[in-house]
Amino acid sequence: MGALEGIATGFQVALSLEGIMFVLIGVFVGTFIGMLPGLGPISAIAIMIPITYGMDPTMALVMMAGVYYGAVFGGSTSSILLNAPGISGTVASAFDGYPMAQQGKAGKALAIAAISSFVGGTISVVLLMIFAPMLASVAISFGPPAYFALMLLGLSAIASLSEGSTIKAMISAVVGFMIATIGIDPQTGTARFNFGSANLLDGIDFLVIALGLFAIAEVCYLIMNRAKKSVGSAKEIGSLRLSKDDMKEMSGPVGRQSFLGFILGILPGAGATIASFISYITEKKIAKNPDEFGKGSVKGLAAPEASNNAATSGAFVPLLSLGIPGSGTTAVMLGAFLVLGLQPGPMMMTDRPEVFWGIIASMYIGNIFLLILNLPLIPYIARLLTIPRPMLISLVIMFSFIGVYAISFSVFDLYLLLAFGVLGLLMRMFAFPAPPFILAFILGGMMEQSFRQSMTISGGNISIFFQNNISLVLIILSVLSFIFPIIKTIRTKKKEA
Amino acid sequence: MKKFLAILLFVFLLGFLAACGGEDNEESQKDSDSNEENTEESSEGSAEGGEWTPEQNIEMVAPAGAGGGWDTTARMAAKVLNEEGIIEESIGVVNKEGAGGAIGWSYIANQEGDPHSLFVSSSPILLVPLSGQSDHGHEDFTPIANVIADYGAFAVREDAEWENLSELFEQMKEDPSSVTVVGTSSPGSMDHIQFVRFAKAAGVDITKIKYVSAPDAGGITQVLNGSADVFSTGVGEVVEQARAGEIRVLAVTSEERLEGETLSEFPTAKEQGIDEKFINWRGFFGPAGMTDEQVAYYEQKFKELSESDAFAEIRTNYGWNEMYMGSEEYKNFLDEEKENLKGLLEELDLLNE
Repeated sequence: MGALEGIATGFQVALSLEGIMFVLIGVFVGTFIGMLPGLGPISAIAIMIPITYGMDPTMALVMMAGVYYGAVFGGSTSSILLNAPGISGTVASAFDGYPMAQQGKAGKALAIAAISSFVGGTISVVLLMIFAPMLASVAISFGPPAYFALMLLGLSAIASLSEGSTIKAMISAVVGFMIATIGIDPQTGTARFNFGSANLLDGIDFLVIALGLFAIAEVCYLIMNRAKKSVGSAKEIGSLRLSKDDMKEMSGPVGRQSFLGFILGILPGAGATIASFISYITEKKIAKNPDEFGKGSVKGLAAPEASNNAATSGAFVPLLSLGIPGSGTTAVMLGAFLVLGLQPGPMMMTDRPEVFWGIIASMYIGNIFLLILNLPLIPYIARLLTIPRPMLISLVIMFSFIGVYAISFSVFDLYLLLAFGVLGLLMRMFAFPAPPFILAFILGGMMEQSFRQSMTISGGNISIFFQNNISLVLIILSVLSFIFPIIKTIRTKKKEA
Repeated sequence: MKKFLAILLFVFLLGFLAACGGEDNEESQKDSDSNEENTEESSEGSAEGGEWTPEQNIEMVAPAGAGGGWDTTARMAAKVLNEEGIIEESIGVVNKEGAGGAIGWSYIANQEGDPHSLFVSSSPILLVPLSGQSDHGHEDFTPIANVIADYGAFAVREDAEWENLSELFEQMKEDPSSVTVVGTSSPGSMDHIQFVRFAKAAGVDITKIKYVSAPDAGGITQVLNGSADVFSTGVGEVVEQARAGEIRVLAVTSEERLEGETLSEFPTAKEQGIDEKFINWRGFFGPAGMTDEQVAYYEQKFKELSESDAFAEIRTNYGWNEMYMGSEEYKNFLDEEKENLKGLLEELDLLNE
């Protein structure tokens, strides 16, 4: 079956009455799960598995896929309105989304997020349709040295993620690195820095840190500064309308980051979270006014939103074409395929074309539904901000606690959440930026593992990083990305002098 | 404002709906706490009668997160037990995730004597305590019944120089560190140990084997792109790639060839002259201090589960094999297996009891 014929079959499946219904259910559930901090697509899909047992496999999977990208779509809402990321893929959306909402432009922020998500989702589905079979080889071309170099490239941008003191940004990143080493070390099986506690053997969940450093710290900050009327009292929602200038400003980042996000999503292990961070950094690096980032920049919100949604479709490439799950959510989906009697892998496209193309086509329709579903809801959702502050603060705390408890059902994690809240508050009071901490935490763990894997493979010979083309190019890029800002500052200083 | 509150309430309810799997279970857990006294009374009563039946809902713990092997087994078993009417009382699955199972095990260890709390486990309940990462091992619980067997496989890229396991081990006998083995879990856990076990049987110096741990599907990726040479994993992870001709399975860890299309083409190690086996068994346990009647009741129910058509279908879908063992046989099997693994870990200097 040719690709065109396959796509036609896919749309036949997705546009049937049943197909439309299940896509709708999936994206609807996904949007709401995404909005609630902590509750993510993984648990939602896992709980759905026994329910879908015996259902038509294509429809069940269409629905589950809907939950997945719906959650990434909806996750930005709580990042923007409450600074409490709904899922880990939308942490970066809070960097500029929350300041924008605080400036009384919540409606605009949500509209930017929805449109960027839609465009990112749609572009990536088109890419998925055309290139899925070809891209499978990209997914496996990254060995440990290449992953190490990719993480290095991400980390080289730490300095650019900070405002003000570079030293403070570095300190923040190093602490993030240190936290990433807690738990059982996969390469030796030894527990590190767990202080004898079984609760720390798995390390610390990313969302615990994100909710602590952002949501809880923000809430404490609001309480401490309650006398100042100007802080966190965005009574205005603002218009939903995006001006022509806004659209123009968005178009660049959305276009670029949809492609980058998709490529990063294809790589097993990278996923929506890393994609959204790397996209944010890239846009900041190439922006004419990087100073605007972090203060409510349109580009700073549009980039991670386009990217995380694009990465979600990207994650389906290795799953559908190779049977390799690249993330926690796709791993659970692989389980769902098996229960439904399907075996994703290199043979699926020929064996079960209606499933393969049906899922892809449904994602295209699902993205349209998400946009139709989300845009009219924005004015209502944004009114969350008009709640009196004491109530809003209580709500954020409650959602953060429920969210963290829902991840692990562990009370210990709630104490951790508080601890990171306090840490976040202290960092904020002494002007240590939180984004480098978060970035170092997510990239650091993977960077260490891929470095050590490479060392085991090469028997301790460091030249392994320069023998592989992909890693060589990425390392050169990281060095350049690290040196350029320094040269820039030296030059400006000379000019000033 | 009213309108808004209504929306808020709606969002809230949906949240709970989404988490309903978890919430239900939490409730049943509370039930079991509050009914503990009743249970004690009734178990005394039933001990006289010689037979025991559960008085309340049963909690089935998966000591892992949603979506993994333990979770799937627990959810599928609970579903079949209830839907086929094998057990009338409703069975709620609870995830107690963390520390490779240790969090879940310590939770169950606190339920001593409560016959309404079961859990699912497999090889890690032997290996994790041996590496010093859990205070509880299988000795601290009541083995009830084993139901499933999974087997491991060793795979290489289709253009690799080794045609079979013997050739690979011949080379490794000369130079053990010329080959990189990759698995999904850390050294001292299943993927590593199953390879070491066969290598030792073939006479390779197992202390010099290069092993890389690559979570998140990194294992198959690393073999396909040539970063690592041998992928040591569960047989289910390699079937599709083998069928597509991307990789070659050197051997499976079962004693006899497995059944099924493609699966039956994989040679066993035994037929290549390496007399060793590795079963990733999976079964059900209860807390310590269960009475003989209680064990007998569950033994019978899990036997019915294992023999039901509904569960047979699930086994086929997941590629699991049937392997029923009753309580006594199960316990002896576990004791023996643990001794064996202990020896291996000791030799690798990974033992940390």
